[in-house]
Amino acid sequence: MTTNLECLPPVSGGEFEYSYKAEITNVYPLTRMEKLYQIQLVDPMERERFIFRPGQFVMLELPGIGEAPFSITSSPVRHGDLELCIRAVGNMTMFLDRVGRGTRVGISGPFGTHFPVERMEGEDVLLIAGGLGIAPLRSPILSVLETRSRYGQVDIIYGARRPSELLFDYEYAMWRQFDVGLDIIVDREEPGWQGPVGLITEILKERIAKGQSDRFRERTSAIVCGPPVMFRFVCDLLIAAQVPVEKIFVSLERRMHCGRGKCCRCNIGSTYTCLDGPVFDYWSVLNLKEAI
Amino acid sequence: MTTNKTFLGVPVARPKVAFFELSSCEGCQLQLLNNEATLLDFLSLVEVVRFREGMKEASDDYEIAFVEGSITRRDEEERLRVIREQAKVVVALGSCACFGGVNQLKNRFNDLEWVKKEVYGSFPIETQKVKPLSAVIKVDLEIYGCPIKKEEVERIVTALVLGEQIHHPQYPVCMECKARENICLFDLGEPCLGPVTRAGCDAWCPSNRLGCWGCRGPAPEANLSQLQIIMAERGISQERMIDRLECFGGFAAFVAEVKEKKGEPK
Amino acid sequence: MLFKVFAASELSRLFEILSVNRIVGPVKKGEDQHGRSLYDFDVVHDIAELHLDYGQTIHSAKNYFLPYRENLCTFTFQDEGSGDGGDWHKEVDYGVYAPLVLFGLHPCDINALNKLDKVLLGGRYPNPFYGEKRANMFIVGHSCSPQPFCFCKSMGTDSAIRGFDLFLTRMDDLYFAEILSPRAFHLLEQIDCHDPDSREHHRYMDLMEAKEALYVAHVDTSDLTKILDLEFQASVWQEWGQKCLSCGTCAQVCPTCYCYGVEEQVDMDFTRAHKEKRLYSCNLLDFAAVAGGHNFRPESHTRLKYRYYHKHRGFVEAFEESLCVGCGRCGQSCLAHITVPEVIASVRASKEEHDDD
Repeated sequence: MTTNLECLPPVSGGEFEYSYKAEITNVYPLTRMEKLYQIQLVDPMERERFIFRPGQFVMLELPGIGEAPFSITSSPVRHGDLELCIRAVGNMTMFLDRVGRGTRVGISGPFGTHFPVERMEGEDVLLIAGGLGIAPLRSPILSVLETRSRYGQVDIIYGARRPSELLFDYEYAMWRQFDVGLDIIVDREEPGWQGPVGLITEILKERIAKGQSDRFRERTSAIVCGPPVMFRFVCDLLIAAQVPVEKIFVSLERRMHCGRGKCCRCNIGSTYTCLDGPVFDYWSVLNLKEAI
Repeated sequence: MTTNKTFLGVPVARPKVAFFELSSCEGCQLQLLNNEATLLDFLSLVEVVRFREGMKEASDDYEIAFVEGSITRRDEEERLRVIREQAKVVVALGSCACFGGVNQLKNRFNDLEWVKKEVYGSFPIETQKVKPLSAVIKVDLEIYGCPIKKEEVERIVTALVLGEQIHHPQYPVCMECKARENICLFDLGEPCLGPVTRAGCDAWCPSNRLGCWGCRGPAPEANLSQLQIIMAERGISQERMIDRLECFGGFAAFVAEVKEKKGEPK
Repeated sequence: MLFKVFAASELSRLFEILSVNRIVGPVKKGEDQHGRSLYDFDVVHDIAELHLDYGQTIHSAKNYFLPYRENLCTFTFQDEGSGDGGDWHKEVDYGVYAPLVLFGLHPCDINALNKLDKVLLGGRYPNPFYGEKRANMFIVGHSCSPQPFCFCKSMGTDSAIRGFDLFLTRMDDLYFAEILSPRAFHLLEQIDCHDPDSREHHRYMDLMEAKEALYVAHVDTSDLTKILDLEFQASVWQEWGQKCLSCGTCAQVCPTCYCYGVEEQVDMDFTRAHKEKRLYSCNLLDFAAVAGGHNFRPESHTRLKYRYYHKHRGFVEAFEESLCVGCGRCGQSCLAHITVPEVIASVRASKEEHDDD
C-alpha cells in the first residue's frame, strides 16, 4: 500500500500579486523631467474603496516593463482617482514617459505608513520639501488645506534647484488662499525669477527666528521630504529650534520590489521601508543605521 | 517594410538591422541562427537587411548595426567608421567586438612581425595589434560572450526595440552558478573565473564542469586581488591564472597590472 | 509528542509507501579533489540514491520552497496594435499541483523553514507562492552528526521541536521516530514499529548527549544585537569587505536568505510578458541602488555588514530569534573564507580591543 499525499486547496493570500486595473486618464507635463499622471482605478467599486492616507505609496506596474513604488501626490478625498508625480529617470519611468492617455496600468497598494496629519490638529504645521520631495508632500499639504480650520499656523517651505524645476507652480496661488505661509527658494536664478535665491535652510532659519520657541517645543509638527542631504540639515535646524524629534516626520526613498515586506530590497538596518515606512518620525530615523 | 505595432499604446517601429563581421569566427552570428523555434519571432521584431550567414541580399539602409569581431587591419577601421556613420545604434556583438576576444591573444607578444611569420610564413598579409570596436568608434551597446547567448540577445533586442534601457547583471557568474546548484569548480581543483566575471550566461561553462574563462569580462567591482589569493591558496600558478584572464581580453587592464608588478613586459 | 521505534530495515518500507509522491532528499553529487563526498538535495526515485548519512549538503533545499527563479505572473495583451492603449490580462499561478516529500532534512533546515514561515507567512501580506509550497510539504527529518563548521548549537537550532511531520533519529539498527502530524502517524501504522521502552528512551538521550560533544564551531550570541549596533563603525568590517567577492554565493546556499528582485520580460511577438522573481543577495553591488543611480550601500563592506545585520540583529528585533540557523553552508562555499563564527568573533574582539584602551 502506498500513501498518496493530497494536494491541499490554495491558501489565502490571493491579494499578494493582485493589482487593480487602472487607466491613465490624463498626463500633464510639469517640468522638463516630471509629469503628473492622473490614474483612475477602472472598477468604480474598487475606486471608491481605495482609501489611503497622505504619505502612503502605491506600486505602479507597466506590464512587461516593470513595477516601481510612487508616493501618492493627490489628496486622500479623491480615493482611487490618483495623481502621481513621476520623474523619468529609470527604465520603467522612461517608458511611462512615452505612454499616453487611455493606457491601462496596474496599481497595488496603498502601502506603508502615512504622515499623521490627524494627530497634528490644533498645532502649527511646518511642511518642508526639497526638489522632488514636493511630490509626497503635496498629499499632506492638500489634506491640511482641506481641513484648514483645524490647524494653527501652517507654513510651506519649498526649495528647488532652478525656477524652471518648480513643481505645481500653478497651484501656489490656491494654496496661499488658505492662510498659509508659502516660501519658495531656488538654488540658481533664471531670467524672470523674482523670489529668493539660496538654500532652503536659510528660509527655514528666518521662519524659526520669527517663531516662538515655546510654540516649537509644545505645539509644532513638521513634515520634511527631499533628498537625504537636505533633510539632515533641515531636521537639525528643527531640532535646534526645539521641535521634538518624534514630531518631525520624513519620507525615505528606497527601491522596493514588492511593497509587502517580503523582498528586503528596501531594508534599512532591519526596518522595512515599505512596511515601517516610508514615513518615519525622526526618532526612528535616529535609531536607524544608514538611514540618511 | 515597417509595420505599425504598438506596445501599451506606444508605437513600436520594426527597425532595420544589419550584421557585420570584422576579424572573427562568425560564431556569434551563427548562434542567432541556432534554435529555429524563436527565429520567426526574432524576424518579426526586426527587419534584417544584411546578414551574411543567413541571406544573399545586403542593404546599406539600416538603423541598428550588430558588429561581430575585432579590428586587426586598417581597412576594418575604415569599414567600422562607415558603419558608425550610417547606424543610429552600434552594437558590439560578442567578446571579440567588446574586448578583442581570442584574437587579442597575439597582443601579448612584443614582436608582431615574428607572430605573423610563425602563423602565415611568407604569405603576404596585413595584420596589426588587435583592438576592440570601442578603440575606434563610439559603441552604444555591448553584448558579451564567446559566443553570445541567444536568449540574452533576444532579451536585449526586445528591450532595444521597445526603447528600454539595457541593463547587464552587476554580479559575477557565481550567483548564477549557485542557482544551478553546480559543484564549485575550485572544489574539483579547477581554476574558475566565475567569482570575477560578469554574469548573464547562466553559468554556461561551469554547468558543464568547465571553469569560467571570463569571456564576458569583469563584473563591475570584480575583486581581483581576492581572486589572486584564491588561486594561490589552491596551488594554481599565477601563469595559469593569467592565461585565463588573458584569453578574451576583458581583463586586460588587470593583467597588465599583474605583469608590471612581476616586472614582465606588458 | 508521540514516539515510535522501528528497525532500520523498515525504512525502505516507509520510503516505498511515500514513493508515489515526489520525494526530494540528499543525494551524492560527486567527490571533491580530495575524494570527499559532495551532497545536494534532489529528486529521489530509489532509496538507494538517498544518502541519509550526509554531513551537510552544498546548497540548502530552498529551491523547493523559495526557487531561485519563479514566475510571479503572466500578462496577455489584447487588442495589440489597436492604438487605444491596449488592454491586458494578468494571470497568477502559484505553480503547486502536487505535494512534495522532503526526506532527510536536518534540524537546521527544519528550523530554517520555521523562521521563514514567520516572515513570509506572517504580517499583512503572506506570500502565497511560499505558502502554497509549505502547505503541501511532508517533512521527514533526520538526525545529523555535527560537522566541524556546524554552529547550530550556538544558534539554538540543533534540534527541531516543530515544523516536521516525522523526525527520525538513527540509533544503530533502530530508528527513533518523533511524530508530529496525523499523516505521519498513519504512515507509521503501515510499517512494523512499536512504542519505545525505557531502555530505548535512554539510548536516545545518551545519543543526544554524545552529539553535544561533537561541536567544534561556536558563536557567542550573548548581547550580539547590541554589540552589532555599537560596533557599526568597527574597522573589521572593512577587512572582511576587502575579501568579499560580492558574488552572492553565501545567500544562494543559505536556507533562510529570501531577498529577491523582480524582472519583467516581454515576449518577442509582444503578445505576452512575464514577471519573474529572482532570489537576490544583499552582497550584490546594486542591491540597494535606487532609480537615478544612487546606491545606499556602494562599498562591499557595507553590504556584508548589512547581511550580518539582518541575520543577527534585525530578525532578532522583529522575531526574537536570529535568522541564521548555523548550518555553516555560507562559510563552506565562500571562496574568501568568510565564515559566520569568524566574522562575529572578530566583531566581538573589536569590542575587547576598546576595553584594553
